Amino acid sequence: MSRLGVPLFITRHVLIALVVGGIGGLTFAGFLLEFDRFTSRNAFCTACHSMTYAETAYQRSSHYNSASGVRATCGDCHVSPGMLAATWDHLIGGKDLLKQWFGPDYDDPVVNALLLPEAAFAARAWFRDRDSATCKRCHTMEAIQGKRADTAAIHREETAGKTCIDCHYNLVHRPVPDQSTFKRDAWNRMIEEEFGLAPGMAGQMMADD
Amino acid sequence: MALSLSPADAAKVALDPGQWGHPAGEACVSCHLKASSGLAAQWQASAHQRAGVNCMDCHQATAADADAREHEGQVIATIVSPKDCGRCHTQEFVEQQGSVHAEAYAIIKDRVPALAQNLTGAAVQAAGCDQCHGSLVKVRGDGSLDPATWPNSGIGRVNPDGSKGSCSACHGRHLFSKAQAREPEACVRCHAGPDSPDKEIFEASKHGMLYASQRDRMNLDAAQWVAGRDYTAAPTCVTCHMGAAGKLPATHDVGLRNAWSLNSPVSQRQLLVVLEDGGKLELPASAPVPKRGAEITKADGTLGKVKSVGTPERRRQAMSMVCQECHGKPFTDAFMKQFDAVVDLFNGKFAEPARAIMAGLYAQGRLTPLPFDEPIEFTYWELWHDEGARARHGAAMASPNHTWWEGMYLVGRNFYSRFLPQARAAAGDRSAALVDAQLTGDHHQWLTDPAAGNPILGIDIPLGTDAVEAPR
Repeated sequence: MSRLGVPLFITRHVLIALVVGGIGGLTFAGFLLEFDRFTSRNAFCTACHSMTYAETAYQRSSHYNSASGVRATCGDCHVSPGMLAATWDHLIGGKDLLKQWFGPDYDDPVVNALLLPEAAFAARAWFRDRDSATCKRCHTMEAIQGKRADTAAIHREETAGKTCIDCHYNLVHRPVPDQSTFKRDAWNRMIEEEFGLAPGMAGQMMADD
Repeated sequence: MALSLSPADAAKVALDPGQWGHPAGEACVSCHLKASSGLAAQWQASAHQRAGVNCMDCHQATAADADAREHEGQVIATIVSPKDCGRCHTQEFVEQQGSVHAEAYAIIKDRVPALAQNLTGAAVQAAGCDQCHGSLVKVRGDGSLDPATWPNSGIGRVNPDGSKGSCSACHGRHLFSKAQAREPEACVRCHAGPDSPDKEIFEASKHGMLYASQRDRMNLDAAQWVAGRDYTAAPTCVTCHMGAAGKLPATHDVGLRNAWSLNSPVSQRQLLVVLEDGGKLELPASAPVPKRGAEITKADGTLGKVKSVGTPERRRQAMSMVCQECHGKPFTDAFMKQFDAVVDLFNGKFAEPARAIMAGLYAQGRLTPLPFDEPIEFTYWELWHDEGARARHGAAMASPNHTWWEGMYLVGRNFYSRFLPQARAAAGDRSAALVDAQLTGDHHQWLTDPAAGNPILGIDIPLGTDAVEAPR
């Protein structure tokens, strides 16, 4: 026993290592928190031009414009709560950056619109896998009242076995059918009409990419 | 043609009840009593509900269907087409698909733009024309129904599954009440107004008067509704145009019993050509009767093979069978004579000369081919399409007011006081050849005697007044 009552294996070196490690660890955790915060901002996400198309639709949605002034950012919905989970999501999300650099030309509005359904399907699966965790950041099931007569009762009585995204899809971004009824041909025709392209151009563009 | 086959009862659903009662359908109701509760409550009170037919039995879809969408874990379609209803109501489906109702979109498709697009604007087509005639329903690439074409329950709607029409044009969803469909009100949404005032005509007729005063004796809720047997108080639209009467079977081919075309520039007695594929086609009786097995172009432009041909006499006979449940044969025949005489008068005195005058003005370049850029085109259009149709429908369904004041009086007034002066102005120096040459025969003789006075105007014209020249 030393005079200070500290166990003998706490030598000076151990003590220094603990202090340095502790401060280092805290600094790293702080860094991760700041990193997650920084990379969840709308400005960060839309730094890639390809993401501004998603932003346009989002800015017309009630998740951007709510009467109460509550505004969900990209990360609020698309990055998991919790430091470790958020870091992991950002790590996995890095593949989007690789696709942006080396994949199809998502900056082209036509390509972007053509490939939107696959992005939507992936995002819905992501929500479903997490039991719509990011929705529940703000929305508490028991507190949902709604404006129509039976909204509360429907949420109370009709949602067994369902998660938010099962019903609430096509809420913020451009509507895309459910994967089970999605028809690639019909989608391509719609995009061709929208951009004034000749029929068949969409398929050609997708093949080129 | 099977116009007089028994039994006279409505077709029974031939399917085994095991064919309905979709297992996923029960789950819809609990939620839909909270969301859009009106329609769920109507279904709860329906015969469908009592028979165990649930939401999914009608709204089920396969993923490959053009308008299929995911809803609460099920693949469904919003539109329940006649083909969907036909899964159980097979006979009604077959009859309806071949009817003039089913072709209501196809028949006017090429003509509508002149009014809907040129004269007014595209917006009116979705909210106006198409609501009766039906729309060509467009499913967008994102799976939604294009609001320019839906909601729509027009009788000739072209559905995403290719079937034609909409059962809910007449059968209010989701109650599907027999009584409602038998009421004259089932037809009112479209058969009203200046060009086809059938609601107004019925109400102004003796039939309508009897119906209104004895509605409680109409037995409208009866399982079977054969005129002369299950009710005798009055006929409704359904009675004469679709209903069972005596040995005459009910039909969902609503034009089957119509001997005349009454909504055309010149009325024609019409042949009903029945095709091998179940389709039907109206042809003027003046045209050569197509041979069995011949190929013929249908209203939608596709080809069909002739199975049989119903003559106008046969069709008239079918309609008369309904009349004779309450009227004697001489009465019925004489009524039909009065009706036919009005149509012949309209044709011979006004419709044929007016059409010939217009054709001449177009052929000589006195009018541009574009419709409605010259006032006479409105006059001519309304002459047959509005007051001319009112007169003919009025005579067909026994409303004296529509036959005369709302109909033939206006035909005469507009023909002499608007159409002819406008035609002469357009024809200019060729007026005698292009206009007056068409006014030969007895019909227009009265104009050659301007001195023949009559007290109808309420003015005493003293004898000896200088004769005025005919307003030519």
